[in-house]
Amino acid sequence: MKGFKKVLAMLLAVSMVAAMVMGCSSSSGDAEEEKTEESTEAEAPAEEEESGSDEVLKGGGSNIIYVITPSVSNPAFKAEADTATAKAKELGYEVKAASHDDDPTKQTELFDSAIADKAAAIICDNAGADATVEAVKKARDAGIPTFLIDREINAEGVAISQIVANNYQGAKAIAEKFVEAMGEKGKYVELLGKESDTNAGVRSSAFHEVVDQYPDMEMVAQQTANWEKTEAYDKMEAMLQANPDIEGVMCGNDTMLEGVCAALQAAGKKLPVIGVDGSDEAAALIKSGDATGTALQQFAVIAETAVVQADKYLKEGSTGADEKQLIDCIAITSENVDKLSGFVFTE
Amino acid sequence: MAAKQNSGNNKLAMTILKGRTFIVLIILLIFFSITADNFMSAGALLTVAKHVALYGILAIGMTYVIITGGIDLSVGSVAGLAGMIAGGLIQEGLTLKMFGVTLYFSVPMIVLITVLLGALMGMINGLVITKFNVAPFIATLGTMYIWRGFANIRSNGATFSELAGSEGLGNTGFEVFGRNLAGTAVPCGVLILALIAVAAGLVLKKTPFGWHVLSIGGNEKASKLSGIKVDRVKIWVYAFSGFCSAVVGIIATSQLVSATPKTGESWEMNAIAASVLGGTSMAGGVGTIGGTIVGAFVIGVINDGMTMCGVTEFWQKIIRGLVIIIAVIIDQVQRNLQAKMALQARNENK
Repeated sequence: MKGFKKVLAMLLAVSMVAAMVMGCSSSSGDAEEEKTEESTEAEAPAEEEESGSDEVLKGGGSNIIYVITPSVSNPAFKAEADTATAKAKELGYEVKAASHDDDPTKQTELFDSAIADKAAAIICDNAGADATVEAVKKARDAGIPTFLIDREINAEGVAISQIVANNYQGAKAIAEKFVEAMGEKGKYVELLGKESDTNAGVRSSAFHEVVDQYPDMEMVAQQTANWEKTEAYDKMEAMLQANPDIEGVMCGNDTMLEGVCAALQAAGKKLPVIGVDGSDEAAALIKSGDATGTALQQFAVIAETAVVQADKYLKEGSTGADEKQLIDCIAITSENVDKLSGFVFTE
Repeated sequence: MAAKQNSGNNKLAMTILKGRTFIVLIILLIFFSITADNFMSAGALLTVAKHVALYGILAIGMTYVIITGGIDLSVGSVAGLAGMIAGGLIQEGLTLKMFGVTLYFSVPMIVLITVLLGALMGMINGLVITKFNVAPFIATLGTMYIWRGFANIRSNGATFSELAGSEGLGNTGFEVFGRNLAGTAVPCGVLILALIAVAAGLVLKKTPFGWHVLSIGGNEKASKLSGIKVDRVKIWVYAFSGFCSAVVGIIATSQLVSATPKTGESWEMNAIAASVLGGTSMAGGVGTIGGTIVGAFVIGVINDGMTMCGVTEFWQKIIRGLVIIIAVIIDQVQRNLQAKMALQARNENK
C-alpha cells in the first residue's frame, strides 16, 4: 500500500508538470493566433468563385502553417524544415514545425493537431506513400490544403501540390560520374536505403540504368543500410572483408556515404563513392577526395517553393502550377562542390 | 544399473546444454566459413569482434542488471547522449555564460566526464527504481525517451561532424577509440571489451559485491533479511550499466568521427538478446559474463556472416529472432532437466 501511494504521488507530480508545460505552450500559441487571425480572413473569400471545378480550400481559419517533416537529425530534413519555417515567417505566417520520425501513426496525430489548431496550410514531407493519403484527405475535409514536399503519395487530387526532387534524373546524373571515376570497369557494391521508401527503389534503378550499360562493371554485393550511418559503416566493413577487391561504392543517400567513407578510411582505402542528397558532410568528403560525388536534391528550393505556392493558393485560390512538380537535382563533384552549402547551390 | 545409465545420459545432456551457446557459435562459424568466401580470415573475425564490442559492452552492463531481476531499456539512449556529450565538448567546448568563457578539455578529460555522466544517468535509473519503487521496465523506458530527447536537444537534431579536434585547443586524438591499436590489427574497442569483460567477470564471481548481486536476483527478500543493502547494490548495478553505455557511445562516435543523436537507437534489444543467449535468466539470479560474451558473438557472427553471404536485411531479422527464441526454449529444457536430476540424486541417496 505504501508503495502504491508513492507511485500515485509520482504520477500526480508528473502529470502536474506535464499540464504546466502544455498549458504554457498552448496559451502562447493562442495569443499569437488571435493576433494574426484577421489577416487571412480578409483575403480568403475574395476569389473563391472563379476557381472552376475544384473546390478551393480556404484553410482552417487561423494563420498557422504546419511544417511536418521526418526527423530533423537528418540534416536534409532539417534544411527543409528550417527553410520552410523561415519563408513562411517571412510571408507573415505563424509556423509550427513538427517531426513524424517516419512513423505514419505519429504523422496522423500531427495532422489531427493541425486540424484542431485550424491550420491555414500544411507543408509535409510524408511518412509513407500510402499511409499518408488518409491524413491528407482528412485535412482536405477540414478545408486545409496540404503541400507535399520531397516524397510523393499514391493518390492524385488530394494534396494541392506534390513538389519532389527529380530523384531519377539526379541518381542517373551522379551514376554517370561514378562510371567515369571507375574508368568504366571494376567490382562495386551498393548500399540501399530503407526498402519501404519509394526513393530507395527509384534511386537504385536509376543507378543501374546507367551502370548496367557497361559490361565490365560488376556488382558483387548489395545490402540495405536503412539510410543509416552506423549500419552503413558495419555493412561496408563486412562487405570489404568478403570482397577485398571492391573498387567503388554506390550509396542511396549521403548519410550512408558518410558511414562508408569512415569504414574506408579505417581500412586505409580511397575509392570512388557516390551518394544522393547533397549534405554538407558529403561536400566535405568530396573536397577531401574521400568521396566522388553526390546528387544535390535542392531541399531548400523545394521547401521554399511549397511555402510560396501555399501562400499563393491561400490568397488567389490556385498555385498556378500542376499538382506534381519535379525539381531537378545537381550533380556535385570536386569541380563544383565549392558552390554548395546548407543544401543551397549558388551559381 | 538402469538408473545409473540414465543419470549418465543426463549428465552428458547437461554438459551439451550448458555449452549450447558455444556450440551454436562453432556451428555458425563453420557454416559461414563454407558459405562466405573470406569469412575465416583474421581480418574478417576482427571486424566481427569490432562490431561485437559495441553491444557486447552494453550486454555486460545489461547482464548485471538482469541478474538482479531488473532490465535496462535506456542503454542505447545513454550511449547516444554520451556520444553527443563527448562530440559537443570537442567541437563546441563548454561555454560558461556567467563567466563568458568557453572551456575546451583534452580528450582523456572528455572521456572521463562522459563516462561519469553515463554512470550518473544509470544511477538515476537505480534511484527511481529503488527509492520510488518503480518497476525497472517502466523506469528505464521513461529514461530511454528522456536521454534520447536530451541527445537531440544538445545539437538541435544536428550532427557534430568535426571531431578531429585541433592542436591549438589540445583536444586531438578522439578517433583512436574507433581505430586499431597503434601498430596492430586489433581494434581498440575489442581491447576495451576484453578489459571490461574480465573485470566484470571477476567482480561477479570473486567479490562480495558480485555475490550480493547474484543473491538479490535469486531471492530479494532473503537477501534483505540477511543484511545485504539491496537498494545500494541495485543503484551501483544500474550505474555500472550507464557507465558501459557511455563507453559504447564514445567508441561508436569515435568510429564514425561524428556524433549523431540517433546513435544507439534500439541497441538495447541487441544487448538483451546477447545476455539471454548467454544464459542469463530474465527471472534473475542466474548469469555469467563469459556466457554473455559468447551470446554477443553469436549475434555478431550472424549479422556480419549474413551480410557477407549477401542475405537481405529482412531474412537477417527473421533468423536473429529464431535464434533468440530457440535459445530460450533450450534454456527451459535445461532447467527442467536440472530439476529432474536433483530429484533423482535425492532419491538415490535415500
